[in-house]
Amino acid sequence: MKSLVLVVAITFLVFGCSKENSFDEREINLISPEKISGFDPINASDKYSANEAGKVYEGLFEFHPLKRPYELIPNLAESLPVVSLDGLNYTFKLRKGVYFHDSPVFKQNIGRELNAHDVIFSIKRLADPKLNAKGWWILDDRLVGLNEWRIKNSKNEKTNYEEEIEGLKVLDDYTLQIKLNKPYPQFLYALAMPYTFVVAREAVEFYGKEFLNYPVGTGAFVLPKFEQSSMITYFRNPKFREKLYPSEGEEGDDKLGLLADAGKKIPLVDKINVHVMVESQPKWLSFMKAKNDLLEVKDVNIQQSITPDRTLKSDHKEKGIRLIMKPMLDVTYFAFNHDEPIFKNKKLRQAMNLAFDRASYNRLFHENTAFEAQGPIPPGLDGQKKEFKNPYIKYDVELAKKYLAEAGFPGGKGLPTIVVQTRSDTVSRQQVEFFEKCMEKIGINIDIGMNTWPELVNKVTKKQHQMYTMAWGADYPDAENFLGLLYCPNQAPGSNGANYCNPEFDTIFKQATVLQDSPERTDLYEKLNEMIAFDVPWILGFHRTDIYLTQAWLKNFKHMEFNHSQFQYLNVDLEVKKQLLNKF
Amino acid sequence: MIKYIIRRLLYLIPVLLGVCFIIFILFNLVAGDPTAVLLGKNATAAQMIELREQLGLNKTLTEQYFDVVKSAFTFNFGHSWSTKQEISQMILRGAYPSLCLTLPAFIVATIFSLIIALVVAFYRGKGIDLFIRILCIAGVSISALAYILFFQYFFAFKFGWFEISGFEYGFPNFIPFVALPGIIFIILSLGPDVRFFRTVILDEIYQDYVRTARAKGLSDLSILLKHVLRNALIPIITYVIIQVPYLILGALLLENFFSIPGLGGITLNALNSSDFPVIKAMAILSSVLYILLSLFTDILYTFADPRVKLK
Repeated sequence: MKSLVLVVAITFLVFGCSKENSFDEREINLISPEKISGFDPINASDKYSANEAGKVYEGLFEFHPLKRPYELIPNLAESLPVVSLDGLNYTFKLRKGVYFHDSPVFKQNIGRELNAHDVIFSIKRLADPKLNAKGWWILDDRLVGLNEWRIKNSKNEKTNYEEEIEGLKVLDDYTLQIKLNKPYPQFLYALAMPYTFVVAREAVEFYGKEFLNYPVGTGAFVLPKFEQSSMITYFRNPKFREKLYPSEGEEGDDKLGLLADAGKKIPLVDKINVHVMVESQPKWLSFMKAKNDLLEVKDVNIQQSITPDRTLKSDHKEKGIRLIMKPMLDVTYFAFNHDEPIFKNKKLRQAMNLAFDRASYNRLFHENTAFEAQGPIPPGLDGQKKEFKNPYIKYDVELAKKYLAEAGFPGGKGLPTIVVQTRSDTVSRQQVEFFEKCMEKIGINIDIGMNTWPELVNKVTKKQHQMYTMAWGADYPDAENFLGLLYCPNQAPGSNGANYCNPEFDTIFKQATVLQDSPERTDLYEKLNEMIAFDVPWILGFHRTDIYLTQAWLKNFKHMEFNHSQFQYLNVDLEVKKQLLNKF
Repeated sequence: MIKYIIRRLLYLIPVLLGVCFIIFILFNLVAGDPTAVLLGKNATAAQMIELREQLGLNKTLTEQYFDVVKSAFTFNFGHSWSTKQEISQMILRGAYPSLCLTLPAFIVATIFSLIIALVVAFYRGKGIDLFIRILCIAGVSISALAYILFFQYFFAFKFGWFEISGFEYGFPNFIPFVALPGIIFIILSLGPDVRFFRTVILDEIYQDYVRTARAKGLSDLSILLKHVLRNALIPIITYVIIQVPYLILGALLLENFFSIPGLGGITLNALNSSDFPVIKAMAILSSVLYILLSLFTDILYTFADPRVKLK
């Protein structure tokens, strides 16, 4: 009985003990909606792992935090590279005075200066067959000798990092040269992605398999050890180089206060706490209790945040909360499997497209915040003309019935039941149920195939499906990343899960992908985008919208699709925080 | 008794072989190829082939099965395929928050349930019995999710009595974080526990020895505590101890909503990413625990009822 009393007493002792907000340090509190598995940049394939890696590691380049369209700027590189006329040789100059974090892996625990060998080592690590990195695709068959090195080492007991590769040369401690085997216009984007962030060889060798838990980078923040927990705390890197907050951005940034810290040395805060929260409710409540400074609004929280006319709700305005809504670089779609004979019938594909009621779908599942996709390329990237309207992106049941009859299936007669594979969560199921109702109106029967994520991926990669639902987010700001989803050589198990093959499309795609950013390339992208609109290889869905809420005291946050390096620019206004906290 | 314990421990061998066989069949025949999930959205065919080789998925089925058996008997589960973390470390680190949440809550829930069950059994057929039975049925009829959403919103957010979510390692740091989910755990357990304990106690109340005790002039309370409870202990011990493996494996919903980095979340992540070594480790761990706790239950029977002999 005594123990019972003790347990009850302890429980009640904690009543009223929830932690208060701290003003002692310049800290910001963020949320990661997914668990972080580790800090090895070569495997930071999802947005959230990339965000965490970007706090401690850096790449040769990064995206300008304010300018739009996205602009690459040198980071560990001193300047943009010198590129040979044929576009194959890139010479990079590294910034001097960049140091790795202090760590026991270095002599006397003091971080040493970064050099060109580190960059080459990090690229070789990405290609190491023993590591089978998730990011290998960005360099696969791109650099002279790298694939050969990978194949050779796959047969060796241990990967030989000493062996020289023709395409990767150190010219001096601060200069390196990379040789491509064919033009790769997206190459510099690859060098801004987390996969190519620079790591220290000493750390990799010292920690071995535990390397992913001991990030030793050159970034603005330090994390001595990563452990699976509900919170990750980063501290300001006291030895971070002289890196300044940008003094220019896009039009309007000044008015939004985004240039108030121009010219100041970054990072501007002492500490970042990242709270790992998977479910919507705790994220929302925690933000509304001012325990977090930034909230990515999704699902049920959209209704709680904004009014039907897409403005911030008044009670949030009173607390100084700000709303940021920007279109995402993504596309959602229902893919046909073009290996299935029935889907070789273009009229059938067009009929199904016309029968899909996108307006209702948008209202039901996206709170009217998404944009109907006119093609696979999202607005904001070259290749998607603003004025272009896809003739099959309209809801017209009568026309759909006419097309279906012309396809040889009047009223759906003779057409087998089509199974649409999707994920087994409630929203995915409801989305396909809605699609089922739309198709029912023209006489097409749909069955729903429910799958766990591994099962769905497995069916797509093995071509064991008729249709499936998917969303694709940009890896870098180039339409090639979207058009490649319909390039025949990429068919399953590659990213073209629809197994769509159109020789004309493939020829133009191949021409476009070797061209640098130019009006000629944009023309080709536009042509491909329109070709897809007419050929209907997918039932196009939407380009979704990113919705963020920020507390009034969080400064310098600007929507950024590739925001892994953005956190070093954030700031907090403690005075504003003190003033506003009583409203929460 | 020693012989009995050794024999029961030897049963572990065929049981583990069976568990290995079932999870191996489920993984190989039902789950399919994990490489596409593990390599992410830009996986290439060549990479998938390489990864299959590295993960040992190209070995014969017999070889793969023996690998599973070997890890089950050595408890060396290697590294996670998806997170690349060492599995034993993942389990140790995840078990702590899971147990911090579930163990105290489980003990309190069991004690409360037993007390309530004794009270309602004592007043069987009266108003309080009916009232508590209705409460219990209502309690189990409401989804666990509803409790979580309601309690988190009102007690953590509106009244600010508890932390909304999170976890800190070390005593007593974890208490503010597990207090509210612990209370929800207790409430969720009360309904089924009270109903079960009440039924068991009532079964005993109608036995002949209770009538004899009454005839001898013992008070109802004394009969209930000294005789009925003792005789009802065997099914109660079985019911209570069998729940222990589930405590270690975590309370998935509570862990997710309160951001407690326990084993429930680790298992769910492993299932969603085809992380066979982690799934295998969790399945084997729970089987071993189940068997050991069954044995422990049998030993406890001898203390609860001296007539029970382990042969």
